[in-house]
Amino acid sequence: MENRLLEVKGVDVLYGDIQAIWNVSIHVEEGTIVALVGSNGAGKTTLLRTISGIIRASKGEILFSGKPLNKLKAQEVVDMGVSHVPEGRRLFSNLTVLENLRLGGYLPRSRPLFNDSLERAYDLFPVLKNRKDQKAGSLSGGEQQMLAIGRALMAQPNLLMLDEPSLGLSPIFVRTIFELINTLNTQNVTILLVEQNINQALKIAHQAYVLKTGKIAMTGKGEELLADPEVQKAYIGERWRKH
Amino acid sequence: MKSKISVIIAVLLIIAFITLPFYINVDTSYFAYYLFLVFCYITVAQGWNFVAGYTGQISLGTHAFFGLGAYTTGIIWLRDITKTGYYFDPVLMVLSGLVPVILAIIVGIPLLSRLRGDYFAFGTLGVGQIVTVIFVKARQVTGGADGLHLPSAVFESMKPYYWTSFILAFFATAVVYFITRSRIGLALRAIKEDETSAASHGIHILKYKVFAFSVSAFLAGLCGSLYGIYLFHINPDSVMNLNNWMFYPLLMCVLGGNGTILGPIIGSFFVSAIFSFGDVYFKGTHPIFSGLLIILVMRFMPGGLVGLKDRILSRG
Amino acid sequence: MWEYITFGLIVQLFVSGILFGTMYGIAAIGLSLIFGTMRIIFFAQGAMIVFFAYICYWFFTLLGIDPYLSLLLIIPLSLLLGVAFYYGLFKGAAALEDRVSSLLIAVGLIFLLENLMTVLWTADPRSIVTAYTSYVLRPWEINMPFTRLMALLIAVLSTAGVLLFLKKTLIGTAVRAASEDVVSTALMGINPNWVNAIAFAIGIGLTGIAGVTLATVYSFDPVYGFVFALKAMIALALGGFGNVVGALLGGILLGLIESLGSFFVGAGWNEAIAFVVFLLVLSFKPEGLFGRSVEKG
Repeated sequence: MENRLLEVKGVDVLYGDIQAIWNVSIHVEEGTIVALVGSNGAGKTTLLRTISGIIRASKGEILFSGKPLNKLKAQEVVDMGVSHVPEGRRLFSNLTVLENLRLGGYLPRSRPLFNDSLERAYDLFPVLKNRKDQKAGSLSGGEQQMLAIGRALMAQPNLLMLDEPSLGLSPIFVRTIFELINTLNTQNVTILLVEQNINQALKIAHQAYVLKTGKIAMTGKGEELLADPEVQKAYIGERWRKH
Repeated sequence: MKSKISVIIAVLLIIAFITLPFYINVDTSYFAYYLFLVFCYITVAQGWNFVAGYTGQISLGTHAFFGLGAYTTGIIWLRDITKTGYYFDPVLMVLSGLVPVILAIIVGIPLLSRLRGDYFAFGTLGVGQIVTVIFVKARQVTGGADGLHLPSAVFESMKPYYWTSFILAFFATAVVYFITRSRIGLALRAIKEDETSAASHGIHILKYKVFAFSVSAFLAGLCGSLYGIYLFHINPDSVMNLNNWMFYPLLMCVLGGNGTILGPIIGSFFVSAIFSFGDVYFKGTHPIFSGLLIILVMRFMPGGLVGLKDRILSRG
Repeated sequence: MWEYITFGLIVQLFVSGILFGTMYGIAAIGLSLIFGTMRIIFFAQGAMIVFFAYICYWFFTLLGIDPYLSLLLIIPLSLLLGVAFYYGLFKGAAALEDRVSSLLIAVGLIFLLENLMTVLWTADPRSIVTAYTSYVLRPWEINMPFTRLMALLIAVLSTAGVLLFLKKTLIGTAVRAASEDVVSTALMGINPNWVNAIAFAIGIGLTGIAGVTLATVYSFDPVYGFVFALKAMIALALGGFGNVVGALLGGILLGLIESLGSFFVGAGWNEAIAFVVFLLVLSFKPEGLFGRSVEKG
């Protein structure tokens, strides 16, 4: 029996008078990696922000482990077990690496486990341990991404949502990040991944949705979509076929 | 203001205001004085509103422009510089409007190009205070704290003041109305929405911002000139008053409804009514109630009165 | 005049300037916290300082409580008032980062407070005179009034206290984080309203402290506050938005400018000088003389 950790049903999202998301329904099964792909402006980031509570949906339902999320404030959504690593990482650049991690573990329910969470973060990202007293803003792009993910993990989330984790990173780091996502998944973290790097995203995703101008255009297993000629033509193109 | 009924109401009101001196003795009527103030505030408020509502920059230095207008009038008059009539002299008033524009350009270019948002607000506040201090200290030119005294013998009646203030208010509203509907207005709105995008479309950001800033300075200066002629005694406390000519117009815009044409008008009528009422019935303690009212309105109706109307209408 | 300048005089001017400047500094730290987290320009900072000066005065005059002891009462009172102000008045404006609403609420507060104080307590200037008010230390022939030294001490202790809170506690770290990015703070599971309320509380708490030091050092009346608030803003701009120690130093610097300016150029001009320096710093180093780079928008 599939266990739907996250269910988004018929959600509309408006920015003032402009509708950004039209009747979108997706679901994420526990223990899987679900990818949300599509071109710029398709609404992927908007959808994540709606799930994490930064924006409110004007219509529809969002259920997490059966409990409704749509009326909750962002900090309450985190408490339910959903952590969102926003686009551009949005670290606290004037605070140190350790302080960023501490804030990640702020929730009352996470605090008793703080030391263990910290160890786990350091295991996954040894570089963070080395730089723990450095200001987050002084880290390189890849290191910042690791800190952002590490910070989100400090809240012991059941669902980790990543918005464009590979953005602006060198190819080596891109590969590291995707390996990391896989590793996390094997450690039982469910992942909802928004990505522009469709190739990599579809390779590791169990399930994927293609979003186009705020609507779901296609859905299917990751490898299926990867092989789909339409997807290849629209998003992947000649450059990527070589890899 | 699109429906026919609104237009008819507006025209009727305008006619009523213009003809008021024919059925009310404006020299003795408190109501006429109230309207005079309201029209002055509308003039200044429309200017402020233009900058804040349509370019997104909050200016806290309006009182400096107002005061400059008043002082320009005083100085030109007393030193007989232009050799024209002076009392309700259009040349004098226009000049008084232009001098603040010069300040707006001198100050606006560095401030608007370097400072955004809050920092710009701080900057204009600083400019306002500096100008005030200069006018207090430059005794030779401005008469210091005592100020300038215009020959009050020329005063005959309140009527020209009343009509001129109405004309200024009408002019200010019309100017803002037409600019916002012109290509310039479109550019300003684009700047407010997204500056980087506007710049990439070839809009010269600084030029438009300084233009808007100058328009507000001109309107404030014109009104300052009129008010100076009204008072006959121009000094920092009365014409560069931070409260009266900066916070009040700001309040009127916001209370009325930021970024709308009607906002400053409604706001001016409403706020002036409150203050006048308080001044007459609660002399000495009216800032307590006014302050309380401001707090309550901004806390519960930040969209102002125009916003309230929209909210009520949208429920239907 | 120039022939009267001695080294001692210069030092005296410096010392006076520094001692008075610390009051601007404390006010500036409060402004910095409130502005940093909520983007609220709290114009009423000065009026609040005067308000607490009056409370201190009345505690002394009616109940005989020594001003410095009254801090034990005034600090908790001001902290609570700060929380009340946030939840009662500024929460909505903070959420929307609505500069104009918050500015007007603060202005409304000034009207209310100043007039209330005038009506209740008259416009006559007040000052506190205790046994030690006229006590002056004279190390190396320099006049250092005891009360002003205490003001300096209190300012330094307060700054240290705020710094410790911000750097060493988790809540304080959350406040610093919220100053940078309030949305990300919420994504950590931290309720932004709590953080804002705490920042506001500290901001008002500092006005309580500044009010006490003002009452002991200077005479004040109900309308003294507004100019003080403007000076605090200058201090803030000088020292750097978002920098606690910078705000204190900015205040001291302003105190120096005023002290030296008053002597060499005359009292009136020195306000203009202060504002010119303010504009220069805003234009060329908006992050302040001691601050770190902050986004301008």
